[in-house]
Amino acid sequence: MLVKRERWTPYLFILPALLILGVFRFWPIVIGLSESFYSISFLQGGAKVFTGLDNYKSLLGDPVFIKSVQVSVLFNLIINPLQILLSLGLAFLVNQRVRGVEFFRSIYLIPVAISINVSSLLWKLILDDSGMANGILSLFEIGKQPFLDSTSQALWSIIGIASWIGVPFWMLFLLAGLQGIPAQIYEAAEMDGANGMTKLFRVTLPLMRNSIGFVLIADTISNFLLFVPVYMLTQGGPELSTNLVMYEAYRRGMIYGDFGTSAAMVMMQLCIVIFVVLIQSYLFREK
Amino acid sequence: MRNLIKMITIFVLALSMLLAACSPKPQATQSAETSEPEVPTEAAVTEAPTISASTDEPITLTWLILEFWNPDNVIAAYQKEHPNVTIKAEKIGFADLFQQNQIRLGAGDDSLDIVSVDAPLVASYGARGWLYPLNSTFSSEEIDTWVPGAVEAGTYNEQFLAAPQHTSTQLLFYNKDMLEAAGITPPGEDERWTWEQVAANAQQLTHDDVYGFTWEQTTAAYQLLPLPLSLGGNAIGPDGFTVDGVVNSEEWVNAFTFYGDAFNSLGYAPKSDTPANEMFKNGKLAMFVGGSWNNLVFSWGPPEFNWGVSRFPYFEEGETVIPTGGWHFGVNANSAHPEAAAEFVRWLSAGEGADIWWGADSYDMPAQKSIIESFSTLPEFQTPPLYFMQVAAREATVNPVPRPVTPGYLEYEQLLNAAFNDIRNGADPKQALDTAAQRIAQEMAKYQK
Repeated sequence: MLVKRERWTPYLFILPALLILGVFRFWPIVIGLSESFYSISFLQGGAKVFTGLDNYKSLLGDPVFIKSVQVSVLFNLIINPLQILLSLGLAFLVNQRVRGVEFFRSIYLIPVAISINVSSLLWKLILDDSGMANGILSLFEIGKQPFLDSTSQALWSIIGIASWIGVPFWMLFLLAGLQGIPAQIYEAAEMDGANGMTKLFRVTLPLMRNSIGFVLIADTISNFLLFVPVYMLTQGGPELSTNLVMYEAYRRGMIYGDFGTSAAMVMMQLCIVIFVVLIQSYLFREK
Repeated sequence: MRNLIKMITIFVLALSMLLAACSPKPQATQSAETSEPEVPTEAAVTEAPTISASTDEPITLTWLILEFWNPDNVIAAYQKEHPNVTIKAEKIGFADLFQQNQIRLGAGDDSLDIVSVDAPLVASYGARGWLYPLNSTFSSEEIDTWVPGAVEAGTYNEQFLAAPQHTSTQLLFYNKDMLEAAGITPPGEDERWTWEQVAANAQQLTHDDVYGFTWEQTTAAYQLLPLPLSLGGNAIGPDGFTVDGVVNSEEWVNAFTFYGDAFNSLGYAPKSDTPANEMFKNGKLAMFVGGSWNNLVFSWGPPEFNWGVSRFPYFEEGETVIPTGGWHFGVNANSAHPEAAAEFVRWLSAGEGADIWWGADSYDMPAQKSIIESFSTLPEFQTPPLYFMQVAAREATVNPVPRPVTPGYLEYEQLLNAAFNDIRNGADPKQALDTAAQRIAQEMAKYQK
């Protein structure tokens, strides 16, 4: 009798969390999926009508959506490796045992502590045509740069701003992973004659596999969901060069009121992210 | 394998947050079963003011308004007359108001009662059934108090959906000292320069960090539509949906080549997002075309130099076309107190509230004829800068062309604004307008099925 009761105990403990997750996490997915099969018919007085896969079909032939998928993929191909490398480098730097390193750790965390809306606004002012960045460049007699207004620079500006916030944040996780490696392992490696590079590639990085794997997946998801800097700085422009899928989905749903198409976009992005994350999970699987 | 499951779980949880943010409430759009917009019967509407006025039941009405309007005086006066009604004004920035309206009305939010509606969006909101019809709220005498065209601007499919509060017009503001220093004779207040004259003089006035000219709403259809229209172009096809061959016609390409050159090859207009009236006041801008509201702004803190206004320019080979249209107030169709909200809108737009609103430092040209007529007699309107409101009132009668009436106006405007922004940043006008035409046509298609 006691054994039977014990069998159910763990499930009872996780039940409240599961209920909350179900209501606030999984149910919205079901609603989003359902919404993607409906459209508004203005000829029927604004009625919501079932249109099956029409929203998906029209998106596959929609040059704006296709362009936004291309921009999102390009953005992620650049920003994810960049952020991981920079976070890793920063984690190594602030892991040094030098005087005042705590001060630098705090300084690097400031971008994380500032609301993304506020930092986007600050960057908008800095990168404006007559903003601080161009003011500094003019001191070196470099001409004005269209940071947010040129198709060749705007996406890079968004990558820079997102990384300014993202790098110190992910650095925290990598630093924790780095500090979790026992000192004895390094000592043993040194006794075996390992130099700095050997220790990095044969000890540090392999032992940080879990931290790096987690950061890579979480960073990828977060960058696929990136919205605020695009919304506040470029609104998807110039010429759709920063029109990430999230912004296009927002525009269609929240501005144009076309929730069906917006939900279909989000579902398609979900498929892309699942695909990417599965590959990443496979590469970082426990062997 | 366990690791894989763990990773997928993390990812699904994060993604579901996104979906939670993007999914509309189930009641966001009308279901097929309740597809007909709820049009109240005439009896219900005409009885409504009596109900709201006679019951003592406390009512709170939420009013979403622009942050630079001052609603305190009208709210105080209305609440004094209607002790059971509390009006709560929620202030919001210019760009955000459009999105707030869209999101809250689209989501069927019943906590919003009174809505500020830009005139060309009446059709868009009307087609979605978001606004409560006001046909029976106003008497014909009250409707006659507004300037011509304002009632049409608030009407869609024969339903009067939003009462006019403001109208607008545009003037050319210039720094008289700068013009004279450059040897340019400033235009008189009733004189109208051509765009070619503006461009030539602006180039002459541009030096160092001082620019010659810009448009106040630099990339906004409101201010820029008159450019192609002045050259004989159309804003939209006669069906209210066709844009291909219209917004990328020769007239449009020519007009926006002129516009793009101002920011790029000729460089007399600044690409900065600093507001034009601020640059003007700081002596960094010699001329700009801007709303008549600038006269009121300058009356609170006038520029420290000699300045003047003249009429809105036109192309030498074209005709005079003046921007117009302004803010209307409507009632959310999902409001819990539509009758009480409609009564407030009636009092504000055509009743005692209209005068109080104007007296409370509102920015724009009023839509009420009697208030515009008072410009010629009010003592403070006899000297600049408020005197220039008389010039604006005269200008408002010269071929004002409203923005196109189409349920897809929001998409039309947003996508055109994006194209104008790209042209300002150096994109090829023909290509930018072709892309805009293609994207607008794609959005318009949904209104035809």
